[in-house]
Amino acid sequence: MSDFSDNIRLVLPFKAEYVSIARLTASGVANRVGFDIETIEDIKVAVAEVCNKLVNEGYRSEGNYIITFNILPGKVVISFNSSDEAVKLVFNNEEDELGISIINAFMDDVKLYPGTGCILTMTKAIDEGAFADGK
Amino acid sequence: MTSELIVREELYTDYVKVTLIGEIDIYTAQTLKDKLYGIVESNRMDLRIDCSGLNYIDSTGLGIFVGVLKKTRLYEKNIYMDKLKDNIRKLFVITGLDKLFIIE
Repeated sequence: MSDFSDNIRLVLPFKAEYVSIARLTASGVANRVGFDIETIEDIKVAVAEVCNKLVNEGYRSEGNYIITFNILPGKVVISFNSSDEAVKLVFNNEEDELGISIINAFMDDVKLYPGTGCILTMTKAIDEGAFADGK
Repeated sequence: MTSELIVREELYTDYVKVTLIGEIDIYTAQTLKDKLYGIVESNRMDLRIDCSGLNYIDSTGLGIFVGVLKKTRLYEKNIYMDKLKDNIRKLFVITGLDKLFIIE
């Protein structure tokens, strides 16, 4: 079971009008993994928050950013990558506070990698306890 | 595949009712900002925002509400958020904004 891992990759320009595509993809992937509707909504918002920040940083750039959904049993690892110089640093301003607080509240594990090609990874696992409780 | 937002405005004797239908995200946020700032500036009354048709919001939209609230407070007025869906109410709670707005 542990060797099962699929990747879904989305390449997007730094443009606000395409963030909704990232949201839709995130919903589809989260649904595939087996999350409940409320958690699917949370993952969708968390993905959009990162996209918003990347678009705000990189909107002058012609480049792209890549969202990779790594699907594992009962879990998804979402990573954001870009080789574009414009988006090396993210979530380092005071006005990012709302966005990062939402991401941290909704995802299990959020890691920032400032100054590298991989910008951020975040993980969400199905809460097995919730299933055991019959919720 | 772009998000859509409809903003409707109705003027009552002591407040303005704003109905939001659709999604508030980074793409539709500027429209919302322009409309709400315009409404506050030209009426200087309480805002009652009907969110029953609002399906999605993120920090971009929440930030705009905070900006509009600052402006309404200058005129000693308030913002009432009505009929929030659960997913949106949750965002107000986790960001602490439920303490700033009157959520009904």
